[in-house]
Amino acid sequence: MKRPLRLRLVLRDLGAGAAFGAMAVSGQLPLWVLGVFLLSLVLALSDVRIVARHARLSAVLLLIAAVLLGLRLTSGAMNAVVAACAFAGLISAQRMLSTPDSSADGQTHLTGLLMVAGGAALSGDMTYALCLIAFGVLASLSLALGVVEAAVPDGEPVPVRSVLLPLSGGLSFAVAGAMAFFILFPRLNWAMVGPRSAPGFGAVSSAGFSDTVRLGGAGTIKSNPRVVLRATLTPDPGREELDAYWVGRTYDTFDGQEWTNVVGAQRTERQITLRPASDTLLHQRVELLPAYGGRTLVALESPSRLGNALALTPTGTRASTVQLHGGGEVRFTITAPAYTYEAYSLPPNAKADASSGLRAEERDQLLALPEHLDPRVAQLAASVLDGEKEPLAAARKLVSHLQRDYAYTLEQGGSLEDPLADFLFARKAGHCEHFATALTVLLRTQGISARLATGFFGGARMDGGYLVRAGDAHAWTHVFVPGRGFVTVDATPPSHRTSQGFELIEKLLALYEAVEGRWRQSVVDYSFRDQFELASKLVRPPRRTAEGAATSSRLPPMRAWVTAAVVAFLVWRLGRIVARWPRRALRLEATRFLDRVDALLARAHVPRREDESLEDLTTRLARDGHPLALALTPLTRRYLEARFGGRALREGEAEHLLRTLRRALDAEAARHAHKPDEQAGPTARAS
Amino acid sequence: MKALARPPFRARLRALLRPPRTLSVTKTGRTYLVVTFGVGLGALNTGNNLLYLLLGLLLSMVVVSGVLSERCLRDLTVRRMGADAAFAREPFAYRWAVSRKAGHGFALTLAEDLSPLVGTGRLGYLPAGKELVVRADLAAPHRGPVRLTGVRVTTTWPLGLFAKTRVFSLEGTLLVYPRRGYACREPGQAETGPRGESGSPRHQDGTGDVAGLKELAPGEDARRIHWKKSAAAGRLLKVEREREERRIWKLALPPGLTGDALEHQCEEVAAQAHQLLGAGHEVGLQLPDHVLRPSAGAGQERRILQALAWVGFEDVDAITKQEAA
Repeated sequence: MKRPLRLRLVLRDLGAGAAFGAMAVSGQLPLWVLGVFLLSLVLALSDVRIVARHARLSAVLLLIAAVLLGLRLTSGAMNAVVAACAFAGLISAQRMLSTPDSSADGQTHLTGLLMVAGGAALSGDMTYALCLIAFGVLASLSLALGVVEAAVPDGEPVPVRSVLLPLSGGLSFAVAGAMAFFILFPRLNWAMVGPRSAPGFGAVSSAGFSDTVRLGGAGTIKSNPRVVLRATLTPDPGREELDAYWVGRTYDTFDGQEWTNVVGAQRTERQITLRPASDTLLHQRVELLPAYGGRTLVALESPSRLGNALALTPTGTRASTVQLHGGGEVRFTITAPAYTYEAYSLPPNAKADASSGLRAEERDQLLALPEHLDPRVAQLAASVLDGEKEPLAAARKLVSHLQRDYAYTLEQGGSLEDPLADFLFARKAGHCEHFATALTVLLRTQGISARLATGFFGGARMDGGYLVRAGDAHAWTHVFVPGRGFVTVDATPPSHRTSQGFELIEKLLALYEAVEGRWRQSVVDYSFRDQFELASKLVRPPRRTAEGAATSSRLPPMRAWVTAAVVAFLVWRLGRIVARWPRRALRLEATRFLDRVDALLARAHVPRREDESLEDLTTRLARDGHPLALALTPLTRRYLEARFGGRALREGEAEHLLRTLRRALDAEAARHAHKPDEQAGPTARAS
Repeated sequence: MKALARPPFRARLRALLRPPRTLSVTKTGRTYLVVTFGVGLGALNTGNNLLYLLLGLLLSMVVVSGVLSERCLRDLTVRRMGADAAFAREPFAYRWAVSRKAGHGFALTLAEDLSPLVGTGRLGYLPAGKELVVRADLAAPHRGPVRLTGVRVTTTWPLGLFAKTRVFSLEGTLLVYPRRGYACREPGQAETGPRGESGSPRHQDGTGDVAGLKELAPGEDARRIHWKKSAAAGRLLKVEREREERRIWKLALPPGLTGDALEHQCEEVAAQAHQLLGAGHEVGLQLPDHVLRPSAGAGQERRILQALAWVGFEDVDAITKQEAA
């Protein structure tokens, strides 16, 4: 058996790896399947084909895996698509490790194709496109090398470089063709049920809200650069950095160690109204990404309405109702890796009288203090305020005191019995939760109502919207001001409110997010409406505004130049083809004439020699004084004129010339009746 | 040079109706098309844009496959080089010369079109402007002239999904010799040479002075061995004299045979001739309408084989006979 080309096998296995990657990026495959496949891939790349020696054992293992996946599927613990994809990955792994014959190659490529199709059903990430292209390129190269390798005789080298050049050109055309098909093929299905979001490979919830906030926890989240939220604001603030608070929920009860709420779940509706609406609400279309990991809706301060939510589950998009909880928290009722919803918030500096929305027990809690509160806390508040009773002024005094005398740090000293006293009197350093808790409790000791708010602070500009990272998670204080409602007061030093991650990583992630956003907009969400708009733009280009017309050039737009160039090229090619047609017909006629002359000469045993043209033959015969030269000379001249000179043979002229030649040949045959026949060589040629 | 004989009407009609390229789907290609169909159904059913993207890539690969295979078969020139000797029911070496003026050719499979010859020649890579010889082990089921109408060139380049075939019209004739099997019968008595008591049939000493020494061939008389020289050389050497004694056989093919009997007899005579000529004798052949004078050597064996191959095909025109020669 011929030893297969190593490079081809490597390309085949890498192609299968890319196809598996198209599924794995969804993050929905079981970990043991990931482990088995990666191990198999490493072994296959090391040319260790263990299944070749243990084919039956591997078949039994595959059967056991199928049973396990089936059990998980029937018990509802696993999606049918995920189970099918996982099994395809295991089959691919088994085929990679088996003897590399043609059937194993074909099955590996087939399972790769199925895995890529499964990946399309599982994931909508941009990494899927990279895996798809990688699979297409690697599998095509492997297939092409296999085709050539099968035709190369044993012992001869496979011309790898010669194969790669034309194939790479073909693959480029294939990718371009795929894009053209994608753009132009009419979307017949209006219901987009494809997965727009998956948990992602290795995804962990990093910024979700919990029912309590416990002081003393590590502040590692501040260095997490993952994007948890995308939002489009109307009207658009147009700022590069959004200095705004995204509130998720508030806490009213502090027991000395953690914050909780006194009120639990309340009503469930499609849309929850928290505050009375005004005419100038700030609209937000928010997308919570899998890295968010929670079910709490967030909105800019101060939220008025939240709802119209869609849960992006692995099996498709579903509408979700929302439920109001204590502390103004609004939660999705469906658990999904990602969500989209709409929110309306009051504009900044607007009066937000929310006291009417609070229950009596909640209102009572706004002044509640822990049972064993350190007496020094109240003394500190009194000394700082120095008799100030106006809530907002008092809060600002305390904020300036805290920001002046206390340091910001993410390092914690472990679990403490009284973390607030430790922050205020011992370490004098803490993170946003310490600052916010200290301000809230200090205000309450002086009879000013306040509560703790949690959510995010900031937002980076991206494609007309804003991105919020897990590191932007933040805590601050709501101070109740009679007549204005709750006013946001932040005790944390301004430089430490946003993400504390590495700038380079954040920039890279922002770039990735920008490309990912484009990918989602252009590919995942591409619809019949986009096709219609594209066609409309081509047929009827949008009119330029007066300002745009004044500033831009008077030259036609770029697409007009491109269209004109394409049309010109096509016309030129068509012209070339049309112009070539009569010349080709002319040449064919001349060639047929030559064939008939050849046939006559060969029948008369005056064949042309190898590589001898008719002109050479005529010259040779004339030089030898052969009688046939007289008949051949005009014939040769007319052939050359018809073949190369563009002067076609007239109707009947060919027959006349051939008759003349035939007569000359007959006369020659009569003269040399006794001459032995010459033999014609087998030099037929076709092209 | 083009073919001399005009092909029969049926062949011309078949050539006229035959498309310039034929396309067949390979086993891998069938699976590929089924998966593509499934992906297309999935895309239409779910509206998943990624499935549309995948479908676009799969269909584009089909188009690219067609374009690349067409480029592979275009501007190709095929020349038939034929075989040195073709024997019925035995593999024989057959050659074509393939070249391209421009562009490369990959994974070409060559075969004789519409002929009973079985077997293909393969060429992995054909560089531009270079003529390569493709060798194949073909087999013919019967002896006699085989009419060749064209050369079929097939490629599965680039992905092995489809096999595209182009037939190059190339007229010709291949003469298939009878199989040289085992001769069951003795060739009979030699016409000239020692007989009876005058000498053993195997004892051919020759007469005259010693002309030289030659290695003893299998089946030759051991009494001709020159033992001293053989011992010195370490191999068996026989004595050759000025007048080597050769015997003359005249083989004959009985008239009136047809079908299997004729085939069997032709094979028998071919085997006897091969055996006798290999032993250095002169062999002649008596056919019902043709006589070959006794002679020795490889040329005579070829003449005998040609004559035997034509038995039963005497009505073929002279041009075809000339081609086959």
